[in-house]
Amino acid sequence: MTLLQSVKNAVRQRSIHVCYVDTGSCNGCDIEVLACLSPRYDLEQYGIYVHNNPREADVLLVIGGVTPQWEDKLKMIWDKMPEPKVAVAIGNCPISGCVYNRPDSLTRPPAKSYIPIAAEVPGCPPRPTEIIQAILSVAPLIFKDWEIRK
Amino acid sequence: MASVEWIKTFFFAKTAPLITPSHFRGFPHLTGKECTHCFQCMMICPAPGAIEVIRTEKPGEWKPVIHLGHCIRCGLCVEICPELVLDSGRVHTKNAQDGTYMQFQFHITVNPVTCMGCGICSVACPVNKEIDPQLAAKGTSTSDEVIMRVYKGINTVFHEEKCTGCKTCEEQCPNRSVMVARVLEPLQITEEP
Ligand code: SF4
Ligand code: SF4
Ligand code: SF4
Ligand code: SF4
Repeated sequence: MTLLQSVKNAVRQRSIHVCYVDTGSCNGCDIEVLACLSPRYDLEQYGIYVHNNPREADVLLVIGGVTPQWEDKLKMIWDKMPEPKVAVAIGNCPISGCVYNRPDSLTRPPAKSYIPIAAEVPGCPPRPTEIIQAILSVAPLIFKDWEIRK
Repeated sequence: MASVEWIKTFFFAKTAPLITPSHFRGFPHLTGKECTHCFQCMMICPAPGAIEVIRTEKPGEWKPVIHLGHCIRCGLCVEICPELVLDSGRVHTKNAQDGTYMQFQFHITVNPVTCMGCGICSVACPVNKEIDPQLAAKGTSTSDEVIMRVYKGINTVFHEEKCTGCKTCEEQCPNRSVMVARVLEPLQITEEP
């Protein structure tokens, strides 16, 4: 491993930029993501920053059951993110549609049929601790030695 | 040395991620008690596809399976199960302390404007067929013991309390005129004065 790569690895571990996108949730998961930023959970002490700009994001948090309006737009946001990138599904909605997955409802789950999802955090909503754990465990796997593996 | 400590605390996470307390309601887990496959847990579950009661490899043994990604951790299946097969957080401890329990029944509504009195729903209803063999055989009924039947040109509900909530009627109605709603009732045992 080159020195440059080890520096990149070290830096990437401590600088994870997150963008979240709500594709039609009830707002419950959004509030839990917001709670991660609060002093109690303090997301930034792990080097995770929420920017909400896909062009500078490493991790995309997908929230909500993907309404018809989002079918093409979710992919557009994903394409805007620079490599290396990873998408995490937060809550039941992007996994299964949760309680909205009923006949005639305006949800088109799962999110993984539009973009590659690396990890899923089940729960309605998942707890902030579970969200933080998921980001912390999946991000290093994707970002470590990315230049060598690609 | 102090500067090394300072650099460490500055660069590395200061607190370990919080642990979820054990009294928080998590995804229901099995207690090991015997399941009688009464399917009450499946009937009460508000999330589509969250719980299934399946037959295990052992003959005659059933068990509920919770599907992550569907379950919303509401704990209703834990509370309703008469055999205490499931547990989650401190649901049972609290119920025992407070003498609280849960009950549910089904409420049937017929839209009088759109119902054309075809009777498909009452004939399709599996409970109706059991109550009135004539209805099962011929498709007509004069019994007052059935859940519902066409009376004076419109589907009329007689015995709502016999409904098991299978929603066969809802699926069969061509006009979506009959609707079955589950009514949950949290109750508490009160001591007589
Ligand atoms: S888990 Fe309980 S409620 Fe569900 S089928 Fe078994 S005995 Fe009935
Ligand atoms: S906890 Fe609630 S959502 Fe989960 S399986 Fe039980 S009843 Fe269904
Ligand atoms: S829900 Fe099932 S049991 Fe109840 S009235 Fe309809 S068909 Fe009959
Ligand atoms: S509720 Fe529907 S199925 Fe039943 S009698 Fe009326 S129209 Fe027919």
